[in-house]
Amino acid sequence: MVNYYNPATEGTSNQPKFDVNKDYGTPASKSTETVCIEIDGVTLTVAEGTSVLRAASMADINIPKLCASDNLKAFGSCRLCAVQITGMRGYPASCTTPVKEGMVVTTQNNDIAKLRRNIMELYISDHPLDCLTCSSNGDCELQDVAGAVGLREVRYGFDGDNHLDAKIDDSNPYFTFEPSKCITCSRCVRACEEVQGTFALTIEGRGFASKVSAGTSDENFMSSDCVSCGACVQACPTATLMEKSVIEKGQPEHSIITTCAYCGVGCSFKAEMKGEEVIRMVPYKGGKANQGHSCVKGRFAFGYATHKDRVTEPMVRDSIDEEWRVVSWDEALAFSANKIKNIQAKYGRESVGGITSSRCTNEETYLVQKLIRAAFGNNNTDTCARVCHSPTGYGLKATIGESAGTQTFESVMKSDVIMVIGANPTDAHPVFASLLRKRLREGAELIVVDPRTIDLLNTAHINANHHLPLKPGTNVAMINAIAHVVISEGLEDKNFIEKRTDEYNAWREFILDEVNSPEAMESITTVNAEQIRIAARAFAKAKNGAIYYGLGVTEHSQGSTMVMGIANLALATGNIGREGVGINPLRGQNNVQGSCDMGSFPQELPGYQHVSDDLLRGKFEKNWGVTLDNEPGLRIPNMFDAAIEGTFKAMYVQGEDILQSDPNTQHVQAALSSLECLIVQDIFLNETALYAHVFLPGSSFLEKDGTFTNAERRINRVRKVMKPLAKYADWEVTQKLSNALGYPMNYEHPSEIMDEIASLVPSFSQVSYKKLEEQGSIQWPCNEEFPDGSPIMHVESFPIGNGRFAITPYLASEDRANKRFPLLLTTGRILSQYNVGAQTRRTANQTWHKEDVLEIHPNDADERGINDGDWLGITSRAGDTVLKAKVSERMQSGVVFTTFHHPISGANVITTDSSDWATNCPEYKVTAVQVEKVTSPSDWQTRYKKFSAQQKEHFKRSPKKEKTTIGR
Amino acid sequence: MSGTQIKNLVSMLNQIANNNNYKKTDEETAKIVANHLQKFWAPSMRNKMTKYLADDGPELTNVSKLALAQLK
Ligand code: SF4
Ligand code: SF4
Ligand code: SF4
Ligand code: FES
Repeated sequence: MVNYYNPATEGTSNQPKFDVNKDYGTPASKSTETVCIEIDGVTLTVAEGTSVLRAASMADINIPKLCASDNLKAFGSCRLCAVQITGMRGYPASCTTPVKEGMVVTTQNNDIAKLRRNIMELYISDHPLDCLTCSSNGDCELQDVAGAVGLREVRYGFDGDNHLDAKIDDSNPYFTFEPSKCITCSRCVRACEEVQGTFALTIEGRGFASKVSAGTSDENFMSSDCVSCGACVQACPTATLMEKSVIEKGQPEHSIITTCAYCGVGCSFKAEMKGEEVIRMVPYKGGKANQGHSCVKGRFAFGYATHKDRVTEPMVRDSIDEEWRVVSWDEALAFSANKIKNIQAKYGRESVGGITSSRCTNEETYLVQKLIRAAFGNNNTDTCARVCHSPTGYGLKATIGESAGTQTFESVMKSDVIMVIGANPTDAHPVFASLLRKRLREGAELIVVDPRTIDLLNTAHINANHHLPLKPGTNVAMINAIAHVVISEGLEDKNFIEKRTDEYNAWREFILDEVNSPEAMESITTVNAEQIRIAARAFAKAKNGAIYYGLGVTEHSQGSTMVMGIANLALATGNIGREGVGINPLRGQNNVQGSCDMGSFPQELPGYQHVSDDLLRGKFEKNWGVTLDNEPGLRIPNMFDAAIEGTFKAMYVQGEDILQSDPNTQHVQAALSSLECLIVQDIFLNETALYAHVFLPGSSFLEKDGTFTNAERRINRVRKVMKPLAKYADWEVTQKLSNALGYPMNYEHPSEIMDEIASLVPSFSQVSYKKLEEQGSIQWPCNEEFPDGSPIMHVESFPIGNGRFAITPYLASEDRANKRFPLLLTTGRILSQYNVGAQTRRTANQTWHKEDVLEIHPNDADERGINDGDWLGITSRAGDTVLKAKVSERMQSGVVFTTFHHPISGANVITTDSSDWATNCPEYKVTAVQVEKVTSPSDWQTRYKKFSAQQKEHFKRSPKKEKTTIGR
Repeated sequence: MSGTQIKNLVSMLNQIANNNNYKKTDEETAKIVANHLQKFWAPSMRNKMTKYLADDGPELTNVSKLALAQLK
């Protein structure tokens, strides 16, 4: 593979001792013992268990290799890495031979050279010689090795039996499989197993007849178990597995390291470029969150960034019944500022507000909330985290003092029992799921608390699985039952409780109450009490027990209570403050953690500093030069209510599609249409923009500098690889809007915004772009106490001193199944699509998920005479919609499931406005519904289609905006 | 004042009370609720509720009434 030198990130002082761009052949040894050996006369000290190949490579003695790669276990099939070792017979493969004290190795002499040439000759005799026109030309290990061993002739001729006319499989939209070029090194097979954990590929047949296969012989990649993560493509040393974008456009010429803008894993990538065009995204081995792996979204689905639907000119209109007018930036900003000022003059300071984006950078989010607080002069700021992880903020702050996950992703490799609650990592956090599966294959035990049989439960080669398939809405009952078992059976960590926690006795008395026993809760959770007891014991007895949770925990009327229940369990079992344990919220969007940290919530300034605290607020007032409101502002649902009531009139929304993502769509529609000025800043004319008066074109993650903070609190750099299509990055637009409003902002670069953040947020006080360049990434808190950041939190104490147990009684969800609505609907997401789908729907990821469907259990389907593919009407007390049926046993009977990736599905027309008691986070995970067969779309869908078509008419695209699409 | 908004606020208020009343007297719960409103609710929302209380607040529970009475 081509090695890139990136002066922006490499070659600085504190770089890791080893070169992340080099392939050392076999994985690093974890041993702390060392061994001394001699290779080609060079004496070396290396960790015990290191292969001879890796040891040599560390001394820059590069032994030819084909089947070895340092992210895969050594396999020893190509024999090219043969060496001679004093005292050993023959030519052992250096990749499978571990170093031994005193070993003397020779990697080059005539005999070895001859052997290697012979091997290469055999390979090449069955390989098409079209190097000059091959897509791998310039990036082919086979070519490199042929060169390195000095292959000059092929004596066998090329007309013997061969594989040269094997058929190409191009069924996957992003890469091709060209078997004629395959050298059967099995790196792809091993990458799929060891790195991705999917086991989609096998080597079929033996000897000469052996070939790579995706399942049965007539199956292609698309119809196999393949999830298109691309690990095999990256592992392939030849052009056999190759990105279509490279085949079409040729090899990239430079690369820049940046961060994926999809999910909360925050994978680092090398954006490999030709000029300003991204040719491919290659996961970066130096990225600490992903360590060189990625999923289909980050690696392949970047074409949306240059999709022809990108709107690149500002537009305004006075009413949503009018056509859009394309205007200059200055005009659009003056128009917006005028409207806001007039509305505030007429309806009061409180009548306007805004929403920050969890997809934009920290710096951009910070600026939007600053604009609202300083230029609008109120605290009506919120973010889409309201609808996903706001209960995490509330619940963790109350119990452990900081609203963030406590671990690194890597920590899971030290866990013995892993509890996954209301999360579906293989689909929503794929790269973390691969790591988790790796640990499960090593023998860790898995406990899944989820109504659905999630894919993680089908991990190949794992030992102990517990599935607690609880009824939606009964999380708190379940976590209490688990804690009840721990305490009543005396399995708690007494030492930890005594030293590190407060308010234990009251909680102990509460949890020991018989109503919390698994037996008493059985009728509520519908899970067998003995099953709960077994799982609870396994968790409590584990040396290291870790809890991972997702939106299945937070998006409930007792979301905050459940988060506290999880914290209780971790505290009671002493599972906090070291590797392998912890409380880990899996964040949905790329920068949910960051948008919360940056003060997007109405009651908290950046760094979770409450607006009512005079001392904390004073700091900001001084720095920003304004007086700030000392009362909490409106949250998103409160803004909607106030809009309908007529007291809230204008909104500035950056990078969020609230119409599609928020619950009770018809209510949101009513709210948005009551606004006198809706300013939408986005890369596409999204659903919310159909109701907008001003459209400010946004920029994609490829077009700006900044940082994202992932679910492990890791601040990763986002780097500009191309100019913003609409001239400005989002932070520049916010800055200009602020200036137009009369509150000056004059940042030259996002790094200056970060400096300001560091000066105001204690847990960021030592964060700077300079340090980010040096360290690659930083996990906050990063301050005087932890100058290099904090991979594991709460090691010695909590920010609030001791951890606090919280009393968490179970209350039934208000939206319960009843006669009229006998089924429970729960919503979620799938691997290939992302959130509202605005990005992924504009890529070939559509191939996997063209429409949202309703999954229904065979029993419920039978009862209603429903078959796969039937049109179903789904009705709740909020509204109704129509979706296609998919009969599936992943659901339990009584529960139906759908996703909300497509606007016309109207999944959120049915979700209600019932919400978490503490934070108003909507209860997406429980809606009582009825389902029946229908023949036509719902009234809402018909109306929405019409409205949407009308709005398209209003949007007349100017011809010069047509842009080419890349990456397809 | 719209009916739905009041309905929403009332049910949110009662919900907060119900999640914080374990083995507590109404007065104790009311204190927690009042504190929560002070910390997380915009003044306009609190005002709506105090006004509603002044108009008798038919849908409010005893705890909610006590809590609202404590608001500054
Ligand atoms: S793309 Fe990923 S899942 Fe598919 S075969 Fe390759 S490694 Fe396996
Ligand atoms: S497809 Fe590539 S990685 Fe897989 S066996 Fe063939 S050459 Fe090796
Ligand atoms: S979507 Fe998530 S897991 Fe996939 S590449 Fe991006 S950050 Fe990584
Ligand atoms: S690299 Fe060692 S046998 Fe292939």
